[in-house]
Amino acid sequence: MTLTLHSTDNPLIRKLESIFVLTNDERRALENLPMQIAVIKDDQDIVREGDSPSRSCLILSGFTCTYKVTAEGKRQIVSFNIPGDIPDLQSLHLKVLDNGISTLSPCRVGFIPHEALRDICARYPRIASGLWRETLIDAAIFREWMTSIGRREAYIRIAHLLCELLVRMKAVGLAEEHSCDLPITQAEFSDALGLTTVHVNRVLQALRADGLIQSKGTRLSVPDWNKLMEAGEFDPGYLHLVQEDAAA
Amino acid sequence: MNLTFQPVRVATGSDEEGVLVFDEERRLLVVLTRLSSDNEVAPGQWFLEAGFGRLEGRSQPTFSDLEAAQDWISQRIG
Repeated sequence: MTLTLHSTDNPLIRKLESIFVLTNDERRALENLPMQIAVIKDDQDIVREGDSPSRSCLILSGFTCTYKVTAEGKRQIVSFNIPGDIPDLQSLHLKVLDNGISTLSPCRVGFIPHEALRDICARYPRIASGLWRETLIDAAIFREWMTSIGRREAYIRIAHLLCELLVRMKAVGLAEEHSCDLPITQAEFSDALGLTTVHVNRVLQALRADGLIQSKGTRLSVPDWNKLMEAGEFDPGYLHLVQEDAAA
Repeated sequence: MNLTFQPVRVATGSDEEGVLVFDEERRLLVVLTRLSSDNEVAPGQWFLEAGFGRLEGRSQPTFSDLEAAQDWISQRIG
């Protein structure tokens, strides 16, 4: 099914609008960007390492992860992707994917042909800059994760990741106050944090006991945001959000 | 390989019942802890809390009982 999304439903337009004011022409071009929408079940690969895709996927709803697998078959999740993200945007310029992307929850994704992305970038340099900026922020997130996995203690590492997810969800309108739906299992956290599931479980229990988080099903609530930020040594600067109130 | 198990309490903050596992030369190989029933991942199982030498690493499995842990350790140091 190929269709266009209204700008209010299109998280890519919302995202670019948070960086600069779109002209009517730019907005129209984004609205007319061809997009094949697919509904994908949880735990399915969208793309695999070694693929050479001719399109990039915009996450419209749900959670996905970018991952790599070691020779032994162990998975390292290198980022979580949320609505508005285009986790394989780099495939526009890098021919062969060096990572896989898999759904964590049921997702709606929009596949945008590379040809259409190239065309819109050539015609609208500010949109090209906006997309480039997105890939730079992806790299900033990878740097932060590398620092966490290499140097932060488990308790701080998990608190930091929960802060990041909440701030990113809030920036795309998917978190109220300090609460959001987080359909990430403890095993997936373990793959992302380089910890065993036993450690992840112990730390989550400790965070609950310390009053830093509450969880009910997949719903995460943070009763005292400043306390969690402090516990996670979290500074949202690396996310380069333009909306100052996103972390408030 | 004859392994010796010595009960010990481990200050993990949550799962304190543990054993030290020694080889025939009384060298400490691993520390195992028994996960409490509060653990949401593998309640009641034995967890490889720490391993040394060839048993050190990021892969810290859980075992249904000490016999399973013994088999795993023997295979690796064999």
